[in-house]
Amino acid sequence: MTTSPTLPTFQAKDFKSDLKPIWCPGCGDFGVVQAIYRALSAVGRPPHEIAFVSGIGCSSRIPGYTTAYGFNSVHGRALPIAQGIKLANPDLLVLVAGGDGDGFSIGGGHVPHAIRRNMDLTYIVMDNQIYGLTKGQLSPTSPKGLKTVTSEYGSLEEAVNPLLYVLAYGANFVAQGTPADMAGLADIIERAIRYPGFSFVNVQSPCVTFGEEEQQVKAHRANMKTLASVGHDATSRIAAMDLAQQYGRTLHTGVFYENPTPPTTMDGLVRERQQAQVGEAKPRARVLERFIQK
Amino acid sequence: MSDLVIGMAGSGGDGIVSAGESLISSAAYEGYYAMMTKSFGSQVRGGESSCRVRLSTERVLNPGGTLDVAVALNWEDFLRFGAELPVSGSTVVIYESKTGVAPDKIPLVGVAPLEVFAVPIGDMAKQAAGSDKAKNTVVLGLISGWFGIPRAGILRGLAKKFARKGEELVKANEKAFELGEAFAREHPLATPRTLDPPTAGQGSKMLTDGNDMCAAASVVAGCEFFGGYPITPSTEIMQFYTREIWKYGGAVIQAEDEIAGVGAALGASFAGTKSMTATSGPGMSLKTEILGLATIAEIPLVVVNVQRGGPSTGLPTKPEQSDLFQAAFSAHGDVLRPVLAPTSVGDTFAVTVAAFNIAEHFQTPVILLSDQEVAQRKEVVDLIDTSRFEIEERRRPNATELENYARFRLTEDGISPISHPGMKGGNYQGAGIEHNEQGNPTASGKIHEKMNEKRFKKLQPLKHRKDLFRVEGNPNAPLALVSWGSIAGVAEEAYGRARAEGLDVKLMVPWLVYPIAEEVFRDFFASVKSGLVVESSYQGQFYRLLRMFTDVPGCVRSFCRSGANPIQPREIVTALRAAAVDLQHNVHQVASQD
Repeated sequence: MTTSPTLPTFQAKDFKSDLKPIWCPGCGDFGVVQAIYRALSAVGRPPHEIAFVSGIGCSSRIPGYTTAYGFNSVHGRALPIAQGIKLANPDLLVLVAGGDGDGFSIGGGHVPHAIRRNMDLTYIVMDNQIYGLTKGQLSPTSPKGLKTVTSEYGSLEEAVNPLLYVLAYGANFVAQGTPADMAGLADIIERAIRYPGFSFVNVQSPCVTFGEEEQQVKAHRANMKTLASVGHDATSRIAAMDLAQQYGRTLHTGVFYENPTPPTTMDGLVRERQQAQVGEAKPRARVLERFIQK
Repeated sequence: MSDLVIGMAGSGGDGIVSAGESLISSAAYEGYYAMMTKSFGSQVRGGESSCRVRLSTERVLNPGGTLDVAVALNWEDFLRFGAELPVSGSTVVIYESKTGVAPDKIPLVGVAPLEVFAVPIGDMAKQAAGSDKAKNTVVLGLISGWFGIPRAGILRGLAKKFARKGEELVKANEKAFELGEAFAREHPLATPRTLDPPTAGQGSKMLTDGNDMCAAASVVAGCEFFGGYPITPSTEIMQFYTREIWKYGGAVIQAEDEIAGVGAALGASFAGTKSMTATSGPGMSLKTEILGLATIAEIPLVVVNVQRGGPSTGLPTKPEQSDLFQAAFSAHGDVLRPVLAPTSVGDTFAVTVAAFNIAEHFQTPVILLSDQEVAQRKEVVDLIDTSRFEIEERRRPNATELENYARFRLTEDGISPISHPGMKGGNYQGAGIEHNEQGNPTASGKIHEKMNEKRFKKLQPLKHRKDLFRVEGNPNAPLALVSWGSIAGVAEEAYGRARAEGLDVKLMVPWLVYPIAEEVFRDFFASVKSGLVVESSYQGQFYRLLRMFTDVPGCVRSFCRSGANPIQPREIVTALRAAAVDLQHNVHQVASQD
């Protein structure tokens, strides 16, 4: 239904709402939302057919800056809510977004299950290695040793590696981008949306206020390495996991893994089951008949 | 005899629960009313199991008090159930003679049962079927023979049950049944007792439990999505969905945890689908944050809490009514959330439909506060004419309202037309953050006050819904009995008995247990001088809730105890009698002071 030539075409500005972002000037999330506008205009679905769900955190404000149906829910629960939306109406384009704390700390338990259900939705994590909204505490992706207001003498914990996690959980589309490369990021997000199944995009989105110097856009631009430039084979999960181990040391951008034969999606299977059984449906009132002892 | 209460216990493999199921399904088939409760030891498999079946020619209000018939396949197992299977001087006791306890040694609350029969149940089963597996069928024969329960229904049920396993097994069970019957014939009761024939005809009744009734009612109410996580004693609702909902184009998701279950349900409702989740106390605690989100985002959602004993893991397989405070108050911020409580399997249908209608109409989460007893007991109930029930849909914006659409528009009644993804022009942002009429985030105290007012005001009409309360008896009665949830059936029986004794008492059973309908209770209590609020919790939570919001007459007191301690109608009648005497006494005192 997305390819009909009679459908109106959309421009990036059609997805931009009138709300002024609360983000600090220079925040990486400005670049992410721009990339999302571009990706959505390329995909071409009208805003009212898009449900954009987020959790809590600076980055989770993002749905409100689009013209899609948004749901800025509670901390860590964007994925379950998005899956309910997708099963209730599989025709919708469902986007999920949030920060690294939302996705890999408080909501971390939902990620493997969203991946194994493989519903056709796209999960964008804006990973800044810090808690920005609460003003500079450790996040699950903060590097070990990082000094913050909750780690006065340096963090004692290893960082979560989001890329390695989702690859190990079995995600079929895994990519990483940075707003330092807008065109690249928009392209990655577009590919993720078009991928038929659960797709994951980790965006290294700098926090200008609490983030480290070497994590800012300027540093990204200087240090990033496209996966194409290192000759990565994105059809190999093992090769992807190998490269993903460099998370936190080398900023790789592009698609780490894309399963060339996308497995069935849960929303697709649900639809099949509904179609197979709809013939048995009776008027709803007759659902009580099973209780009559005849 | 119009009523018969049978209690049976044995070891896990004895098939005692299966015998109870045969009894109740044949009763339903014959046109009796009946109720069956099961109780088990805490083992997942094996261990002791028991059931209670009450058969009657009239509507059954509760599982009954002391047993008319007690069946023990094993005394050790039987006695483990203690107060759940009380034997009195009017009980006929039947037991497996091999358990080897002399009748006078049976430690039964110091009461000599009316009659005691030691029956070689195991041997009879072996004789009939070559194995003692048919013990439960022998028991059915004994009960049918002694108490006149129609044999046709039971035999028909057995034939159906064993049909898949071959003709031979059907025949063997018939023989086991007949041996039981013959034993009863040869050893007649000294005081014969025969159940009257049913007043209704065959096929006029339904048999189910509260969880299945709730699930079926939700389908009738238009629900098409269930998100949940397995938890005793609510899981059967989700199981029903996994079998049925696909036919109606709906879906079910067994989530990774309780939070994801309610999250998915909320998402589905946001997407425009009627939706529900079900859980018990521990799961309810976990779902709390998302319930707050449903309140502020004004999303319809039905949340079933099948209460069990708490706190924490508590008594997972026993009923209690101790989650009322949680249902009413567990939220941060100012929250008003309707709570409805069914009292029986029969009224679970109407209360579930009401829960969906209220959720959809008022765009709010609604808690359907069931309990283990209502949810898992089986009842024979009258057929339900579903055409009597109106099914409500949430108010969608029309074309005019979609121009310049504001999702949270401040309207006269506080209800704003609700759009959903896919609806052009209805685009908005749902949020847990406070928002203005358009749905955009705000930190304005002024708007927050207005939105709180909206969310409270829209629910006020609920308090005037007379159909959500049942009031019986003389409107001017000085004595009152108030009860809710499964225990209301016990209170109702006590009410009947007290009236028969000449006590001037009236009965109030609310289905809407929160918010407290101040006016309804003010009117009810206007004539009341004394009375009881009967419930199954340590604190007497409904009594306290009533006192928080209404003027409960000072002599009305709480009659409550922790769950898994059954309350009997006679205790309530005794307490009412005492209240009546006190009242008389007070009246005389006042008179003498004049």
